[in-house]
Amino acid sequence: MAGTEEENIKKESALAVEAGRNELIAEQLKNDVISEIQAKLKKSKTEIPAETKEKILQSTVNRLNQILPRKIGRLKQELVDEAIRAAAKSQKEIAEIAKKEEKTAEETFLRFNIHFRIQHMMLFSSVILLILTGLPLKFPAFSPFAFLVDLFGGIESSRFFHRFAAVILILFMVYHTLYTILHRDGRRDFLLLLPMPKDIKDVIWNLKYFFGLSDDRPKFGRFSYVEKFDYWAVYWGCVIMIGSGALLWFQDISLMFLPKFALDASKEAHSDEAVLATLAIVIWHFYNVHFNPDKFPGSLLWLHGRIPKDEMMEEHPLEYAELMKQKENQHQVEKSNDTENT
Amino acid sequence: MKNKFHLIIAISILSVFPLSSIAGATIAIQKCMLCHGKPGFKKVEETGKVKELYVNLSTIEKSVHKKKTCTDCHADVVEIPHKQIPQKVKCIRCHFKGNPDGAPQSDKYLEYQESIHGRAVKSGNRKAPICQDCHGNHDSKHTKDVLSKVHKSNVAKTCGGCHIDIYAQYITSIHGKALLLEHRIEAPNCTDCHGEHKILEHTDPKSMVNPVNIVKTCSHCHNSVEIVGKYGIETSQVSTYEHSFHGIAVKFGSKTVANCASCHGKHNIAPSEDPSSPVNIKNIPSTCGQPNCHPGANINYAKGKMHVNPKSKQSGIIYYVAFFFKYLTLLTIIALIAHIILDLNRRSKEWREQKKKI
Repeated sequence: MAGTEEENIKKESALAVEAGRNELIAEQLKNDVISEIQAKLKKSKTEIPAETKEKILQSTVNRLNQILPRKIGRLKQELVDEAIRAAAKSQKEIAEIAKKEEKTAEETFLRFNIHFRIQHMMLFSSVILLILTGLPLKFPAFSPFAFLVDLFGGIESSRFFHRFAAVILILFMVYHTLYTILHRDGRRDFLLLLPMPKDIKDVIWNLKYFFGLSDDRPKFGRFSYVEKFDYWAVYWGCVIMIGSGALLWFQDISLMFLPKFALDASKEAHSDEAVLATLAIVIWHFYNVHFNPDKFPGSLLWLHGRIPKDEMMEEHPLEYAELMKQKENQHQVEKSNDTENT
Repeated sequence: MKNKFHLIIAISILSVFPLSSIAGATIAIQKCMLCHGKPGFKKVEETGKVKELYVNLSTIEKSVHKKKTCTDCHADVVEIPHKQIPQKVKCIRCHFKGNPDGAPQSDKYLEYQESIHGRAVKSGNRKAPICQDCHGNHDSKHTKDVLSKVHKSNVAKTCGGCHIDIYAQYITSIHGKALLLEHRIEAPNCTDCHGEHKILEHTDPKSMVNPVNIVKTCSHCHNSVEIVGKYGIETSQVSTYEHSFHGIAVKFGSKTVANCASCHGKHNIAPSEDPSSPVNIKNIPSTCGQPNCHPGANINYAKGKMHVNPKSKQSGIIYYVAFFFKYLTLLTIIALIAHIILDLNRRSKEWREQKKKI
C-alpha cells in the first residue's frame, strides 16, 4: 500500500518537472536579474558605453540560460524528495499505531460485560458491609468485635448499615434475575453455569493432576467447576440469607403468622450461613482470585472485565477455541459475502 | 481523701484525750437507768407523736455493744438530767478503719456516703436511713446472728420498714419464698441485688440493677451451678440470653432492649408455672407486647422456647438447623482447604522443576 503511493508521488513530481515549469520559473528569475543589473548600470556614476552595457547583459543572460534550468531542477528534486520522505515517515507511524491497536484488541477478551461487573460490585460491597456489621452479633464475646460495632456508631446504627447493605444485596438479586432472563449474555452464562457431568470429570482430572497422575490441567470452558461452585454458593447463600433475614427484619409481621421457633430457626440459619459464606469467601474466593501465586495480588478484571489472551488460553482453553472457531466462521461468511457482491 | 485526713486527725486527738475525758466523766449506766429504765417512760412530741424513751437493759446486754456504756455512743450527754435532746448517734465515732476501740475494722461508711441513702442524709432528708436504722440501735447484733436486723433472713423486713410496698411484692416472689419460707440461704434478699452499703438508684449506670449491669447481677447466681444448680434450676439461661438478640444488644450498649427484669419482673419474680408470672405462657403476649417492645404481640410469641440453646436437642428444629449447618460448614471448608493445599503443592512442584531446568 505504502509503496505504491510513494511511487505515485514520485511520478507526479517528475511529471511536474517535465511539464516545463522550470523554464517558466527560469524565465522569471532571468528577467528579475536583468532588470536588477540594468538598474545598477543606470545608477553607476562613471559613464559606461552602451556597447559594454549590451555585452554585460548578453553574457549574463547566456550564463543564466546555462545554469538556471539545471539549478531549479535540482532544487525542486530536493524539495520533492524531502516531501516524500516526510510522507513516508508519517505513514509508517500511522501503520504502527494501527498495528498496536490491533494487537491490544487481539490480546484481551471481554470476559464480563458491564452488567455483570456492576452486579459483582453490588455483591461484594454489600457483602463486606454485611459481614462487618453482622459478624459481631454471631460472636459477641469476641472483644475486637465491640470495636467494629463502635466503628459503625453503636449497635443501633450498625443495625441500620446491616439493613442498608441488605437492600443492596436484594437489589443485586433482582438485577441478576432480570439480567439472566432478559439479556442474551445472561441467558448464555446461566446455561453455561449449570452443573454438567463434565464438571465431575474435571474434578477427578484435577485431582489426578494434583497427585501427579496427569501431566496437564483439565481444560475448562467459559466457567470452570471452581467458578460454578462460587456462583451456586452465592445463589444458595442469597436465598438463605435474604429469606431468613427478611423474616427477622420484619419480625413483628412474621410473628403474626409464624411461631417463635420458626424465627429462632431463621436466626440460627442466618448466622450459621453467614459464617459459612464468610469462610468460603475469605478462604476459597480470596485464594482463587488474590492469594493464588498466579493471581497475587489480584487483577482489575472486576473493573474492566477484560482477560488477557494468555490467561484465556490457560484457564478457559475450550472457550478460547470456541471463540476462534466463531471468528473464523465469521471471516469466511464475510469473504463469501464479498465475493457475492463483486 | 479529705474524709480520711479528717479521720486521721480525729484519731490522733482521740488517742491522746480519751472520749470519756472530753465528756467530763463516764456516767454510770445505772444513772441513766433511773429514768430510761422505767417501762412506759415516754414523751409526747408537739406533733402528737409518742416517743418511747424506755430502754430495756437486757436488750443492750444481748447486743454487740454490751460492754459499752450509754455515753460511749450518746457522747453529747454530759450531765444528768440532760437539758437537751441528745443528737443522733454517730457510729463513725468508733467504726472507721484503724480505730483503737476494737470496733470492726471497716470503711463501709465511705460506701454508704456515696449511696442514695447517704446522699439523701447529706442533703438534709431526716427520714433517710443512717447506720442504726438498718443495723439496729440498742439491739445491734453481729450480721451472722439470726436475730440481727441485717441477718440474711431479716434484711428484707428491715428494708421493708421503709419500702413497704416492695417488701410486699418481694415476700410473694420466688426469691422471697425460697429465703423466708424455705430458708434456702442462697436465695437473694434486697442487698444481694441492690448492694449493701453502696445502694444506688437504678438509673445510675454503676447501680447493680441498672440495665447495663442487671444481667451480671442475676448471672452471679443464675450462671452458677454451685448456687442455683443444686436446686435444679437451669444455668444455661444466662448464656442463651447472651446469645439472643436481646443479650447481644445489651452487650453492645443498648439500654432499651429487654434484660432479665424486663420479662421476669423485678421484685415479684415468679416461676413460669405461676399464672401470675409475666413469663407464664398466658402472659407472654402481654409481656412481649409492652408498649416499648413489641406492641401487638400475639400467642405466636409463646410458641417455642424463650431461652434457645441451639446445641440442645430440646430446642427442636433449631437444633437440627444448627446441626445441619455445622456439618455443612465443616465438610465444605475442609474440602476447599484440601483443594487449595493440593493446588499449592502441585504449583510448588512445578516451580521447582522449572528452576532445576534453568
